[in-house]
Amino acid sequence: MQPIGFFEIMGFGPRGWGGAMLLATLMTVGVSVCGFLAGGVIGTGVAAMKLSRSRVARIVADAYTTVLRGVPDLLVIYLFYFGGSLALTAVGRWFGAEGFIGLPAFAIGSLAIGVVSGAYQAEVLRGAYLALSRGELEAARSVGMSRALMFRRIVAPQVLRYAIPGLGNVWQLVLKESALISVTGLVELLRQSQIGSGSTRQPFTFFLTAAALYLLITTVSTWAFQRAEDRAMRGVRRA
Amino acid sequence: MRILKAIGLALVGSALAIGGAQAQKKWETVKIATEGAYAPWNFSGPGGKLDGFEPELAADLCRRMNVKCEVVAQDWDGIIPSLNAGKYDAIMAGMNITPKRQEAIQFSRVYAASPHGFGVLADSPLVKLAGTDQVLHLEKDADAAKKIIEEWKPLLKGKTIGVQGSTTNSAFLEKYFKGTAEIREYKTTEQHDLDLAAGRIDAIFAGYSALAGTQEKPEFKTMKIVGAGLSGDVLGAGVAVGMRKGDADLKAMFDKAINEAIADGSLAKLTAKWFKTKMSPQS
Repeated sequence: MQPIGFFEIMGFGPRGWGGAMLLATLMTVGVSVCGFLAGGVIGTGVAAMKLSRSRVARIVADAYTTVLRGVPDLLVIYLFYFGGSLALTAVGRWFGAEGFIGLPAFAIGSLAIGVVSGAYQAEVLRGAYLALSRGELEAARSVGMSRALMFRRIVAPQVLRYAIPGLGNVWQLVLKESALISVTGLVELLRQSQIGSGSTRQPFTFFLTAAALYLLITTVSTWAFQRAEDRAMRGVRRA
Repeated sequence: MRILKAIGLALVGSALAIGGAQAQKKWETVKIATEGAYAPWNFSGPGGKLDGFEPELAADLCRRMNVKCEVVAQDWDGIIPSLNAGKYDAIMAGMNITPKRQEAIQFSRVYAASPHGFGVLADSPLVKLAGTDQVLHLEKDADAAKKIIEEWKPLLKGKTIGVQGSTTNSAFLEKYFKGTAEIREYKTTEQHDLDLAAGRIDAIFAGYSALAGTQEKPEFKTMKIVGAGLSGDVLGAGVAVGMRKGDADLKAMFDKAINEAIADGSLAKLTAKWFKTKMSPQS
């Protein structure tokens, strides 16, 4: 292996890793977006449980957010990926299937990220709901809106408006958490950089490129969340 | 618990989606995991194509075992749990046999025995360490090894030696040179290489394959491997194929194939090609 320059190694030629790195970047974005969306669904449900009148629901939801925010993310990923496969293989044995039942790394990775980010998003959404004006909710009820209509017209738009900055934070967490998914064998940006640096013995080239690409993703998404916030707040006077 | 139930359903659903179980009673196909990021043992090309000593050796062994093989890349951190979960059947990833790993998995016979030794800069007084170009086994050549280690001690007194932490190498220094030399642990071999070049440490202690890799870098051209190469005892028995404990038949197949590859010289040819140093086991 004779040494080759930065632009050749990160280029798109036959010896260049540019294409592989870009593909890995797309994988990182893909798994993060899916995880974030799954987390949104989970977070909404858990936030509703936290705000509900049922004590059981509140306790369950509190336990969920406490545990999932307290346990290392890597542990959750291991639990889902290896635990899930082992459990499935055991179930398969009952039905006479032999051998290993694998789980798709992408789906499991997204789900693991979703379960963790769901806990954070639940807290963000709960906080945003509590910021709503009680008077508006009472007014909606007094004009005879059903709960569903009230949720659609009054609650959801305003909760989302207040939640945007917090959700932006969670998104950044998710993005960095996606780097942990590499233990399942999914080739995302960090794993691709490790492969590249180990194979070419040029760690700086690969890790600096990966850092730049992560920074690019976060910069673009910060800008997007800022735009979303500006738009959501366009009817609100700011001090 | 509604959430857990939903997760459970999702798990089952996704498994069904990819087509369920693959039966494997007789070994017709063997799935082998490697790291794909540890040149020259195993590494990847830009397109993800695996290459290196172990992928080539795997192809050779599989031909002898008369099975179809698939070599897949797997991150080092999850490599043993994934084996035990059944994601693949064997590991060939420059993995040394250690007692700790033997608690979790079983190993085939050794296919590469890399001695371990000191690397120093050319102008260091340590180039005088005895036994250069010799290879000794700490148990089989116990007397000679003990004698040479005693000869090293006065030279190493007060010197600082860099080593990768939690490895067989650091275990060796702890056992034989604690109190003589100052041992400094690093997270990766690259880090102690850089400190050697910077003059912060007097020597590094590492496997010959890692030392040979370092010498390939232009700024380490003048680095010298000095003193006798050592193996055995805490340095581990060597590199072998890792398998699940239950698969005794697979272990027997790998053992037989590796013995054949040693006997007809093809293993020696592969190590010469990839490492340019003596790496194959003596017998």
